[in-house]
Amino acid sequence: MGRDDKLDIPQVTLDLMILTILTHEPMHGYGISQRLAALSRDHFQINPGSLFPSLYRLEGDGRLKAEWCDTENGRRAKYYRLTASGRRQLEQHRERWNRACFAVTSVLEGA
Amino acid sequence: MILLHRLASVVRWISRRDKAEAELRSELEAFVDMAAADHVRDGATPDEARRLAALQLGGFEQVKERVRAGRHGGGLDAAARDLRYGLRQLRRSPGFSTIAIATLALGIGGITAMFSAFDAVLIRPMPYAEADRLVMIWDDMTKLDITTKVTPSPAEWLEWRRLNTVFTDLAITQSVEATVSGDGDPEQVPARSASWTFWSVLGVRPTAGRVFTEDEDNKGVKVVVISHGLWQRRFGGRPEAIGRTMSINDERYEVIGIMPPKFYFLPARDVDLWVPASMPAWMRTSFGWHSATVVARLKPSISLSQARDSMRALSLQITAKDLGGGHPVLVIPLREEIAGRTRTALTVLLWASATLLVIACVNLTNLLLSRGAARKREVAVRTALGAGRGRLVRQFLTESLTLAALGALAGVALALPAIRFLERLVPEAMGDAAPLRIDWRVLMFSTGVAAVAAVGFGLVPALRGSRFTPQDAMRAGGRGSTGARSHWFQHSLIVVETALAVVLLTCGGLLLQTYHYLRHNDVGMRSERLLTFETPVFRYAKDFDQRIAFINAEVEKVGAIPGVVGAASINLIPFTNSANATFYLLEGQSRSQTAGQVALIRNVSRDYFTTVGAQLREGRPFTSDDRKSSTPVAIVNAQFAKRAYPGKSPLGQRFKFGSLGATGYWYTIVGVVNQIPESGILDETKPVVYRVYEQSEQISDLAAGIVVRTAVDPESIVPAVRQAIWSLDKNQPLAHIRTLDSMIDRQLSTSSQSASLLGAFAALALVLASLGIYGVLSYAVTQRTNEIGVRMALGATAGEILRSFTRQGLGLTMFGLVIGLAAGGAASRVLTTLLYGYQPDYFSTAAAVSIILIVVAAFACLVPARRASRTDPMIALRRE
Repeated sequence: MGRDDKLDIPQVTLDLMILTILTHEPMHGYGISQRLAALSRDHFQINPGSLFPSLYRLEGDGRLKAEWCDTENGRRAKYYRLTASGRRQLEQHRERWNRACFAVTSVLEGA
Repeated sequence: MILLHRLASVVRWISRRDKAEAELRSELEAFVDMAAADHVRDGATPDEARRLAALQLGGFEQVKERVRAGRHGGGLDAAARDLRYGLRQLRRSPGFSTIAIATLALGIGGITAMFSAFDAVLIRPMPYAEADRLVMIWDDMTKLDITTKVTPSPAEWLEWRRLNTVFTDLAITQSVEATVSGDGDPEQVPARSASWTFWSVLGVRPTAGRVFTEDEDNKGVKVVVISHGLWQRRFGGRPEAIGRTMSINDERYEVIGIMPPKFYFLPARDVDLWVPASMPAWMRTSFGWHSATVVARLKPSISLSQARDSMRALSLQITAKDLGGGHPVLVIPLREEIAGRTRTALTVLLWASATLLVIACVNLTNLLLSRGAARKREVAVRTALGAGRGRLVRQFLTESLTLAALGALAGVALALPAIRFLERLVPEAMGDAAPLRIDWRVLMFSTGVAAVAAVGFGLVPALRGSRFTPQDAMRAGGRGSTGARSHWFQHSLIVVETALAVVLLTCGGLLLQTYHYLRHNDVGMRSERLLTFETPVFRYAKDFDQRIAFINAEVEKVGAIPGVVGAASINLIPFTNSANATFYLLEGQSRSQTAGQVALIRNVSRDYFTTVGAQLREGRPFTSDDRKSSTPVAIVNAQFAKRAYPGKSPLGQRFKFGSLGATGYWYTIVGVVNQIPESGILDETKPVVYRVYEQSEQISDLAAGIVVRTAVDPESIVPAVRQAIWSLDKNQPLAHIRTLDSMIDRQLSTSSQSASLLGAFAALALVLASLGIYGVLSYAVTQRTNEIGVRMALGATAGEILRSFTRQGLGLTMFGLVIGLAAGGAASRVLTTLLYGYQPDYFSTAAAVSIILIVVAAFACLVPARRASRTDPMIALRRE
């Protein structure tokens, strides 16, 4: 798949994906970006220039909490973890996403 | 909740910015490290891996910038950057910035300070319940020789209370002499007697204890309500003061109440005691005993004019049977009464400061327009380089707002000391109960006005510049032609500015003229090195001879002090008191003819006139032959002579006063003295009768003022004076020790303050206006360098160029001058009450203002015009 075919990801969607990735375990920025790449199966690419501002904003809003921990390779990195408020937002977003997807798919199939 | 998080995040970002930046940096480094490690694992060389990792991140600074921009509070960053740009721009042209900020500071500082005074005296609530319903009532004695506004008699007050339909109640207070003794030094304190209704009419309550009752007032119970100040001073602020007794005029009074610290009432802030009026029977029926100050509260449904009409009718009815027929009354709102002439002074000064603010804004507008036109090329260049309209507007906006903010700051710095000066404008009755503070609303308002002017006209170049194509603007070359329209606008601004300055100059000139007149007005005495003080002689109330002997002993003792040229006594010190007036009856007149014949009475020691330096116009001074037993004699002032004996000498004529009946003394006039404004330096002159103490047994009082002419500084002998008086009686209090000059200064303070303040405003306005003329002309010279070059190349002389520019500047000035003089003539009418009946010469003021303005404007024109005339045509043309 050529680079030009990659999708533009809206901000809300990016937030949703970040929150989803973090539901399982706390991760650092590089880890999140690797996981995003793997999950999206290279359909789209999130570059760090978009990822980090989102992380900082979510942290600022209290959806995420960050702390410095050691990685498995013994390097210090900043790990992000979901807060209760982040979890709530994820629920809301996911529900909205499902509705939107359903609506869009309906329109597309109906056409 | 989320708002809280965001706020905390912004605070963190701002407060621990360096730490946050460092953290972001290490986080991104960790990203690169880990990415590189993965690439190495996939088989890349370490160098290759780092390069790939960096690529993957997409640029350190770019990511950081995006994080910064995305953060909450990121907008603050941009604002701070704009502010820095703004300050840098202002620093780049220090001349412009200094003038602009100083201009704004004068405008903003002036009105802020003035409004603070205006607010304290005229707006802020007074310490009474619903103070705007309170009025004072005076007898309107227009037909009397004395004055129009006379204190009513307690008898009238009783009748008004009984018969009026417009007031919920009325109260009277009268002045009483009070010497407090025991518990410390004897002290003469300002005191008032008050009717029991006083407290309910004013709607005030004591902070502790109670006030006196109707019953206590009627029965003459010795109780006293004291001021907060006296409570602190004599009782150390202890609550046990209530119920204690204190000695007033050697009688025991029980302290029943303490007033709040902010309480004041006419005539002065410093009244310390209020005792029940407890009027004796004779006072209740003496309609001629004009001794009371009456305050009343309007009924809720009654307007001021209704009250005026009703009281006028009532008073005419009550006094119809009076000697000389009935008189109406004056009903004046309390606020007006307390503020007095200060009201007009403050209003005029507030307008003046508002005018100054307008001038400042006009000037700023002019400066910005000139500067904007000069920056047109800069705007064009930047537009050509790709700066968007929005970016330019934002930058100019920031610059203008920075200017306004700095101007406001400097304005506050200016207002703070100015306020200290203005405190002297607060009427004596309010004193420290009306402290002046910076009024933030006005500061905001004036800064807002300045900001609107700054923004409005600061943006003109940005908008105009970006409207044209850059090519057009740059093709116009260094000339940056602005077109006739903006010239017209700037020129009319100059005219407006000049006209306003002329109005202020004219009014200021009139006030200065008036003050000069008042200050040098003949007071009938030599006022320099004359010390005065009062020694109440209530201890000798019962024995007339003993009292006179004591006063004479005081004069003798004080006169013997080294450095004293002479000492004398008068019962009421000049300029202080309009009381003690009475009807008089000329020999040959019938009682009914005495209507309107009222004169002030003053009792003096024999060499009083010599001591104060008063001039006798006719006749002789009092001598040692004028004793109690000899023929009663009097010296009258010129006003009395003119009124009673028009066209002939009053010497040898006889008259009675006070006691007009058969037992009243006939006084023979032996001298006529020049006018001394006994009742106040700003009051109109009144008829006065002077007698020697020895012959004042009929109609006398318990006051004794001492005047001391010194060869040395009067203040320096004050301790010796105290010792001299106390050597006669160690319990004798002395009050109001001051020099006659200081009393004159105090009485003229409103006049001197308003004259000097208005003068200062006018001078500032003049400076600003000339700066404006200077600015516009210099700008025109810069703009027209080319034209000047061409003209000179074609043979115009330097003199012609000089004249042409000077003519342009002076033309605008003259136009402004004419408008200003016309407006000034109209504006000066509101000054009437500040002129104290004096009629300053408008034409000489206008002439002086015209000359000053033209000279100053000529200088302002000459500097740029000379620069123009020295233009070297070769250089000017080569600039193209």
